[in-house]
Amino acid sequence: MLRNITIGQYMARDSIIHNLDPRIKIVITIMMITALFFIDTFSGYGLFFLSVLVIIYLSRIPLIRIIRGLKPVLFLVLLTLILHIFFTRGGEVIWQWGFISIEAEGLYTGLFMVTRIILLIMFTSLLTLTTSPLELTNGIEYLLSPLKRVGVPASELAMMMTIALRFIPTLLEEADKIMKAQMARGADFESGNLVKRARNLIPLLVPLFISAFRRADDLALAMESRCYHGGEGRTRLHELKVRAGDFIALALALLLCVAFIYF
Amino acid sequence: MQKKRIRLLAEMGVAVALAAVFNFITLFRMPQGGSVNLEMLPILVVSLRWGGIPGIITGLVYGLVQLALDPYVVHPLQFLLDYPLAYMMVGIAGFLPVRNMLDEGIKLYLRVLPGVLLAGFGRFLAHFLTGVVFFSEFAPEGQKVWVYSAIYNGTYILPSILISYIIIIPILRRLLKNEGFK
Repeated sequence: MLRNITIGQYMARDSIIHNLDPRIKIVITIMMITALFFIDTFSGYGLFFLSVLVIIYLSRIPLIRIIRGLKPVLFLVLLTLILHIFFTRGGEVIWQWGFISIEAEGLYTGLFMVTRIILLIMFTSLLTLTTSPLELTNGIEYLLSPLKRVGVPASELAMMMTIALRFIPTLLEEADKIMKAQMARGADFESGNLVKRARNLIPLLVPLFISAFRRADDLALAMESRCYHGGEGRTRLHELKVRAGDFIALALALLLCVAFIYF
Repeated sequence: MQKKRIRLLAEMGVAVALAAVFNFITLFRMPQGGSVNLEMLPILVVSLRWGGIPGIITGLVYGLVQLALDPYVVHPLQFLLDYPLAYMMVGIAGFLPVRNMLDEGIKLYLRVLPGVLLAGFGRFLAHFLTGVVFFSEFAPEGQKVWVYSAIYNGTYILPSILISYIIIIPILRRLLKNEGFK
């Protein structure tokens, strides 16, 4: 039940996009997504889609992966389209059956909104497909660090994220082990109604919590004995460095954003 | 950094990992994408054990981890509400901590209830507002957006609260026992 789970979307590749600085990639993603909301023509969307395709090509991620990533929004996309087609009025009547009619305005706005949602999802998934969670954590830490002055513990937050990312596979494996052990004793995790299934999970979850918190104890001890004392004055093995390529990517993204808005 | 703070930091990190693991154990999946699972449970446990602020921080970190693993962003406001805020709201359970009530002789399941309900309501509120934002941005005008959003989010958050409540009691009982509470 818990085997073969892929954690996160990241696909390791050696590409120009993968090798960009995570901070730059986060900033570019925020810029592009914001720009997307200012596009008001289909030709603008065309240009955006084209740049997404170029990035996909450069990143050497198979196109099918990106398309598969759209599956979770299928419902929202269909709902948005249907609501617009049947409820947005205006323009000429394209199709009519009794009191139900489809008007040009509805079809146009519906398709417009759907394109926007799809492009948004495509661009954000490009970020997580090409940047590992750990790199993203480093990027987030750096981008949050100006907030240290107002008391946001950016390094501690990043440390907790790192701990969490490190322990997800370990705890998954542990959950799987406890599950098998309890199933061998006759536990049933897959039948009954919601309340019954929740109750059946107790013999899995209590040991899982206890052992996870015991791990936290050990970890705290290890951190303490290695003199962990928060973010102040901490150094890293791999410093993030902004290179020429990063500046070029940023400049290109800025140019694109301007182009989208005036296209 | 004192010993207790490092211990807290490690526990919060591990709790976030647990939440991410529970996100994979889906008890029931809604057709619209929301799923009934126990991801709130570890955040609730931390906030009831350590208080509201650590709970809120755990929620924030969980939101950030979800963002790094599997983001789903359709609107800037939706991004803020769904990721950091919704889970931070779960942490507010800790403003009604369990420990302080220990001496009053109230049964554990009664002591925990207000916190769990508060957390569930807080999370619902954040996701509900997301829905309102989403529908008013993408759906046609004149629709009853809050009704859609309330139904959409209620259908998976209510059962999630229920099962989290059922399971949190034996877990807290066991953890408190390990620490020498009755």
